[in-house]
Amino acid sequence: MNDQCLKNGNNLNLYFDNAATSWPKPETVYKAPEAQMRQACGNPGRSGHTRTLETDRLLYTVREAVAGLFNVKNPARIVFTLNATDALNIAIKGILKPGDHVLHTAIDHNSVLRPLGKLRRNGIVSVDTVPCDLEGCPDIDFLSTAFRANTCLLIINHASNVTGTIAPLEEMVRMAHGHGVNVLVDAAQTAGSIAIDAESIGIDMLAFTGHKGLLGPTGTGGLYVREGIYLDSLREGGTGSQSEMDIHPESMPERLEAGTLNSSGLAGLLEGIRFIENTGITNIREDEIEIRKYLYNAIKDIDGIKLYGPEESEKCSCLVSFTIDNADSGEVGYILESSYGILCRTGLHCAPLAHKAFNTFPAGTVRLSPGFFTGKTDIDYLVNALQEIKSLT
Amino acid sequence: MAYSCYITFPTTYFAIRAESLLKKEAYSFKMVPVPRSISSSCGTALRCECKDLSALKEFLLQNELELEAYYKLEEIGLRVPNVEELHFDE
Ligand SMILES: Cc1ncc(COP(=O)(O)O)c(C=O)c1O
Repeated sequence: MNDQCLKNGNNLNLYFDNAATSWPKPETVYKAPEAQMRQACGNPGRSGHTRTLETDRLLYTVREAVAGLFNVKNPARIVFTLNATDALNIAIKGILKPGDHVLHTAIDHNSVLRPLGKLRRNGIVSVDTVPCDLEGCPDIDFLSTAFRANTCLLIINHASNVTGTIAPLEEMVRMAHGHGVNVLVDAAQTAGSIAIDAESIGIDMLAFTGHKGLLGPTGTGGLYVREGIYLDSLREGGTGSQSEMDIHPESMPERLEAGTLNSSGLAGLLEGIRFIENTGITNIREDEIEIRKYLYNAIKDIDGIKLYGPEESEKCSCLVSFTIDNADSGEVGYILESSYGILCRTGLHCAPLAHKAFNTFPAGTVRLSPGFFTGKTDIDYLVNALQEIKSLT
Repeated sequence: MAYSCYITFPTTYFAIRAESLLKKEAYSFKMVPVPRSISSSCGTALRCECKDLSALKEFLLQNELELEAYYKLEEIGLRVPNVEELHFDE
């Protein structure tokens, strides 16, 4: 842990919004996209000259690194996407067929709720929502009786972006597989912060985004699709291969990657993953648990502040959601920035069903998400600000 | 007459994976743009000496790579060479 935020920015720009997008990034992440554009930027797969080959090699290396991170043996099963939303759309719309039934959890993000909502409204699939308890944990008893003969997919949000609550992934995957149902995991909030062994857990598909815990640039992300799952493609187009045919190539990963990839962004993502490898994901996790504990314990004692999510920091990702009695969350966020230079997120956090479960709909919460680079002095400053704001109510 | 042999791949991913695995094994080969006289799914091919082709092919298949086809081409500069597609009994 260090006080990177204070050093990198200044006292009036304290960043507590890592669950939205991480900041700061490791220095190498800033530099790699520039170097890639200046030195190597051939169109991957297209032209056959040395710069094209350099970019092909880069993409191969990033694929290997991502596969390594999730303990996936075959890097060809990693598809690059724009972000987690894109990956979730590719997975959901690629696997579901008319008449299928889908289960998903109440803590899901709109990037799951909206694609499902559209398919349901269009009469293509039926959908059931697994409710969650007041701490944000999915109801396992409900799930155990929710599978139907036509259930095709269970979607699990690995960690809520509202409360941080970590879902019991292994147990839920086991239940789904017991009914022959595939599992899609939304790892937007956990990839890079919490170790995920996709193959040993038996995850069938896993969506991730590059710009949060993986510490990479925006516009990067991906989808792991296990061997044996065939997704219909959402997009077809140029790949540089089989150009004489108007049929998009069948081989993974190209099958799900139409169009020129974000190679400069992926160069940055690679450096984010290298940083995580070098630091050790278990060290990152331990640090983040300690930061979350420190923050939670400091806020918990402020009178009139209501916290959501588990008390035990081991049960959640590195964030704290709260409301202040008689205060509008948006207004609290505004004062935090305008008077103290503290940046955080307020409102519904793109997860309306989760807020309904926590009785924070439609007002929402204030979400503070520190990160690996947040120091304890940053938190002390924040807690002092909250005490002063509380005294205004 | 001098000849070179080529291995083609279904996707760029497998071409680069082949390169990366073979480099570690110190085989002699080169990744090149696919000659226009060959039709290939992926724009990059592996060129090697014909005497090495079967060893390279075996190594790559053992490593579960998807390969598309094998060719033998005359080395005649810029002119379009004679192409022979090679088939192996699997
Ligand atoms: C749980 C969850 N899923 C999906 C997403 C979507 O990520 P992205 O906006 O990078 O596609 C987010 C982030 O906003 C999230 O928190």
